Amino acid sequence: MRTHHFVETYERHLALSDNPVTWSWTGALLVGLVVLPFLVGGYALSIAIAIGIAVVGAIGLNLLTGVTGLISLGQAGFLAAGCYTTALLIDDYGWSTEPALLAAGVMSALLSLLVGIPSLRLKGLYLAITTMAFSFIVTHFLLYAESITHGPYGVRIEDLDFLGLDLGSARQLYYLVLAIALITTLAALNILRTRIGRAFMAVRDHDVAARVMGISLTRYKLFAFVTSSFIVGIAGGLMAFQFRFINVDIFTVLLSVEALAMIIVGGLGSVAGAILGAAFIVLLPEITRSLLDFLPAAAAEALSIHIFEIRGLLTGLAIIVMLRIEPHGLIGLWRQTKRYWTGWPLSV
Amino acid sequence: MDLFLNLVASGLVIGSIYGLIAISFAIIFKTTGVLNFAQGEVMMLIAYLSWSLGTSLALPFVALIVASIVISVAVGVLVERIFIRPMIGQPVFALVMVTIGLAVTLRSLTVLIWGPDAEPYAASIAGGIVEIGPVVLFSEQVFALALFAVVMVLVFAFFRYTRIGNAMRATAMDETCALLMGVDVRRISSMAWAVSAVVSGLAGVSFAIMFSRAPDLWFQGLRSFPAAILGGLDSPIGSGFGGLIIGVIGDLSEGYIGQGLKEISGFVVIIIVLMLRPYGLFGEKELERV
Repeated sequence: MRTHHFVETYERHLALSDNPVTWSWTGALLVGLVVLPFLVGGYALSIAIAIGIAVVGAIGLNLLTGVTGLISLGQAGFLAAGCYTTALLIDDYGWSTEPALLAAGVMSALLSLLVGIPSLRLKGLYLAITTMAFSFIVTHFLLYAESITHGPYGVRIEDLDFLGLDLGSARQLYYLVLAIALITTLAALNILRTRIGRAFMAVRDHDVAARVMGISLTRYKLFAFVTSSFIVGIAGGLMAFQFRFINVDIFTVLLSVEALAMIIVGGLGSVAGAILGAAFIVLLPEITRSLLDFLPAAAAEALSIHIFEIRGLLTGLAIIVMLRIEPHGLIGLWRQTKRYWTGWPLSV
Repeated sequence: MDLFLNLVASGLVIGSIYGLIAISFAIIFKTTGVLNFAQGEVMMLIAYLSWSLGTSLALPFVALIVASIVISVAVGVLVERIFIRPMIGQPVFALVMVTIGLAVTLRSLTVLIWGPDAEPYAASIAGGIVEIGPVVLFSEQVFALALFAVVMVLVFAFFRYTRIGNAMRATAMDETCALLMGVDVRRISSMAWAVSAVVSGLAGVSFAIMFSRAPDLWFQGLRSFPAAILGGLDSPIGSGFGGLIIGVIGDLSEGYIGQGLKEISGFVVIIIVLMLRPYGLFGEKELERV
């Protein structure tokens, strides 16, 4: 039986991971992600881009909902704010893409103050409703403030380049999304191991106790809101780069629920969980679609016209089943498996 | 003036639907502490089932309502038994997430079974016109108002005078104590889901008669949140009145301020309400300062 390894120096305590095995696998994964565009076709690459954007969004939401325990059903609203900010700044105001993407994060973060400040007194369920209300108000504004947002006509952006990358090419867009997803992952991991991250968790686990220990609830709840929305806004901006033509119809309640499903299925409060969950939820309809091919042609055809419903059904079932069998999500399952093998044959 | 009165009347009609749904939110929240995000979907499912029954059997209206109530009880009990009961003992967060998952599941399932098209809900009461002074209402709208009034009285009486209603209030107040007093607390949760399914199911049927049996019926559930918050989530009667207020505000702002505000005014109202009085107009003030 392998003994557990012991942490003996401060440096090893402070490191993101003190385990060389983890580092080498992470390295291998990165190499794999970098060469991926040369191995797969256009469709698979567009799914990979969608996963990357979902990862950024899920990590953002996870900081708020998983780590700080503030349930948000407003993901669609923040994504919409980011997406429209980027697209409109580029299309109507002639901004270049780099500041427009940053502006998406900033706009979303500013809006989060608008929801965050009145919501400070609220907990759990009430907050879920306020954020949902916020999301409806945002989409309503986007639809009706036609002079600013083009209303129902949507926004089209074309021929972009970002720091020398030509975003018209799927491969180069993929590298941009990959880079931003990496930065977000590192940022989130680092936030979680500082005072701020621990304060977030304290607020989640017991707010009264956190207050007694000298954590300002107002400051940290707002900080969680702002950080999370900034990241989600960036994800929204990336959506503008991917879709090129954006319309308010994408930003439905289902999108918010899918984002929640990602972090629940992946594992609440864990960055790796958010990544796994995002990949899982994006791939779910794709896997179903390929499974449909094994069905008799008639059944497959009947089901394929309902692909949107099937997607909703699977998202909902994924949430319910995951909460029932493993509340810690995929990452919890992974940890259990690892513990089982480490402790074998004494594991239970 | 006529415009104002007509707007108020149509606001009251749609408000009575919101009110009924808000009552069903409040019943579940009060007794189990769970905010059921799937209420609108439960309502839609019941309305669809009752539509199928009504069109295939051509029942008289009263029989259809009775059948809808029976369907509602079955749906409520089944949903509670299959999805909620196994989660008892988990944190409220997990339970609420389950209802969100349930909402998406039921919504998709309904469209998969009945298809995406809207169908008129043919009911014998529809089509008549009732004039009260300058206000003109369709008979199905009057039915919605009457239904609201009846349900409000029944819900009030239920919680005040019946044994089960009292047991529910006792459970809401202190679960352990209620258990020690001989209340079967697990059955109470099932009852709460059944009662709330009946209330929202009737709202769904009434809404379907007014408009149509359509796959966006679930959205009325979300639009009733403001009513429940305004009235106080732990007060069924308050939530009912909250519905009327939200309905009237919606129609007045649509009529006087701008197009599309009907959809959104309720949500603006709850953000304001939550800032000023998070426990709502009729809810109990929780003393908790952090």
